[in-house]
Amino acid sequence: MAGMRLRVGARTDVGRVRHVNEDVYLLRARQGLFVVCDGIGGGPSGELASRVAGDAIVARLTEADADVQTAHARSGYLPRTSMLADAVRRSNECVYDHARQDRSLAGMGTTVVSAWIAEHVASIAHVGDSRAYLCYQDRLVPLTCDHSLASANANGDEAGLVRALGREPDVDVDLTEVPVRRGDYLVLCSDGLTRMVPESALADVIHELREPQRICDRLVDLANGNGGVDNITVVVVEVMGSWWQRRSTQRRPHAGGTDNAEAHTAD
Amino acid sequence: MPKLILQIDNSVLKTCSVGQRASIGRLPDNTVVVDNPAVSGHHAVVFRDGDHFVIEDLASTNGTFVNGKRVTTQKLRGGDTIRVGKSTHAIAFDEQGGDDDAVETAAPEIGAASGETVYLQADKHQALLAWIRSAQAPTTPAVLRVLEGPADQSEYSLHAHTSVIGKSDAALIRLKGLFKPKEAVAIARGDNGYVATVLRGTTRINKATVRERQVLADGDILEVGGLTLEFKLAS
Repeated sequence: MAGMRLRVGARTDVGRVRHVNEDVYLLRARQGLFVVCDGIGGGPSGELASRVAGDAIVARLTEADADVQTAHARSGYLPRTSMLADAVRRSNECVYDHARQDRSLAGMGTTVVSAWIAEHVASIAHVGDSRAYLCYQDRLVPLTCDHSLASANANGDEAGLVRALGREPDVDVDLTEVPVRRGDYLVLCSDGLTRMVPESALADVIHELREPQRICDRLVDLANGNGGVDNITVVVVEVMGSWWQRRSTQRRPHAGGTDNAEAHTAD
Repeated sequence: MPKLILQIDNSVLKTCSVGQRASIGRLPDNTVVVDNPAVSGHHAVVFRDGDHFVIEDLASTNGTFVNGKRVTTQKLRGGDTIRVGKSTHAIAFDEQGGDDDAVETAAPEIGAASGETVYLQADKHQALLAWIRSAQAPTTPAVLRVLEGPADQSEYSLHAHTSVIGKSDAALIRLKGLFKPKEAVAIARGDNGYVATVLRGTTRINKATVRERQVLADGDILEVGGLTLEFKLAS
């Protein structure tokens, strides 16, 4: 995509308490597709659920990539957003079928938060309490609303999920679209991060470090430092301009967010 | 103060005081949020009517039930159990309640201070229902009216979640010309209005260059890629 390049960082960590990492992330940077899943279920089933769901989403969208232009747009969303929603619904069926066929996997499920970035718009689909944020200038904007009891219950400490992939034959997927421009950061993460690291710290780390992989590493360290009670996964995508825009970006204080004439004429 | 107690499998999830009114639904702006796909966004409302409380189903898809009976409007008694949609949540109505954790709502104030017995006047009832329905009814989309420049239409409806102005085939408003950006501006439609994000090139709003993002106000004049457009909210 001319004019829009993505720089990506990602890290997943078992944390300080759990023995197994049931989180999964998948990156298809060339396609602009990013997925984080947080598996639920004892034994091997949580790991399997998140893996099955993530793979199913990516496989579905990779095979269908060519059809974006002809995809049917509905209810005011871009065709790409509808395709992402379909892929998440399909992944729900995959996990559900797995759990039904093997009794030892009963009850397994997974959260998902996924972003598909193309043509300056990020399509976001999510189920559960894994989150997406957009960070620009000095603002951190939540793009998702948890499907957990904690969000329905202001006094709740333990978050029980009220929606997850793989638990029911059908699932309601929440969708959002957000335009993105150079200098923006998109963050996808599991609750192992957001329960350990406050949003203010998340924004501070992005502003301080700027480089996606360093941001991910620092955030995982912070989550572990604060207890690391759950698996921690974070994916950070930086939206970059063309090389000449990046040069002009480097010369100015980033947080100021001022566009200069050079960047504009270069377009 | 009376309370609504949200429960699942007999364990209490949340207790909400009911001042003059409380809404029940799936969306986060409700007093009692029941996050279940089978519950409507704004499902039902409980409000004070004189010296008692009434529950009203807001034309929900899957219905509102009091003690197992489907209701449209029903006077509530202490100990009643409300169920919404196909959700397994139960909401108990506690008429006595305590006076501790009062919950603020953004509802228009109706009648006297909470706790006092009031008589709900017809016009106030109408205002209450209008307030509830304005929150649930999809608002009429804003438009971009073409004032100057080459465009296929004289007016474009911003009904989609994202509307792009640019040279791209997917753009709502197609820019013409060799050096126009594929995506110049994206206008996102959110719960609280419209936000323009400048993606490539220069966009001016009311003669001022937009830095990155700007909330659009009624009557704003956008200049982008040789077009002059007026942003108009639905009246």
